[in-house]
Amino acid sequence: MTRKDLFLYILLATGCTAGYIWLWVAGDDPNNESTVCLFKNVTSMPCPSCGSTRAVVALAEGDFMGAFQWNPIGFIIALVLVISPLWIASDLLARRRTLPGFIERAENWLQNPWVYAPAIILILANWLWTFSKGL
Amino acid sequence: MEASKVDLFIMTNGKFFESHHVALIRDKLISTDDAKWSSVQTLQFKDPTFILIISILAGSLGIDRFLIGDTGLGVGKLLTCGGLGIWAIIDWFMIMDATREKNLEKLKIVLA
Repeated sequence: MTRKDLFLYILLATGCTAGYIWLWVAGDDPNNESTVCLFKNVTSMPCPSCGSTRAVVALAEGDFMGAFQWNPIGFIIALVLVISPLWIASDLLARRRTLPGFIERAENWLQNPWVYAPAIILILANWLWTFSKGL
Repeated sequence: MEASKVDLFIMTNGKFFESHHVALIRDKLISTDDAKWSSVQTLQFKDPTFILIISILAGSLGIDRFLIGDTGLGVGKLLTCGGLGIWAIIDWFMIMDATREKNLEKLKIVLA
């Protein structure tokens, strides 16, 4: 295993753990207004992913419409949070290395202008929407 | 390549690489064929200081990582609001070295 691959696994595993801890700490109280978001604390404007904790919590409660209303990015985060631990575990158990290859292909795919241009527009549109929601 | 050409390259581009890599780069360039000189000379490297400024200003949106070509990490930072702000702060200290590593990778591709 190369250093880069190992770094990827460790990063994803720590990221997921931190994500679940964050959900456990901040997720129970939906009216919790405090934020660690650097962008929001500095500029007092919401960042593109503000509201995604509440979206993931809504998803966990089965409220798909509510999650979409909070922030559609929550769907992507929930997907990553569910899939990556399973993927890491299956790679570890089967002694394979499928995850780094997949991420590399995804990165190459994202570097295609036909992919990243619409993605940027979607993120910006979603950001404008978070302003109007007053998150 | 001639030593004078290589030294010129090191003088103009040394700041784009980690200091402990410069000697290696010099040896590698001297042993490289002269035909690669024009492509080596026209390479554009990312300035670590510029990326650091971007990281401080827009790091929690992942723009710094996108700029140096770490698309995957950039998406990660963007979607998690700079890793809940913690990763964004860690990257203020990591991004300059990461940029220099990326510059080295770029040079390696041309020299390979």
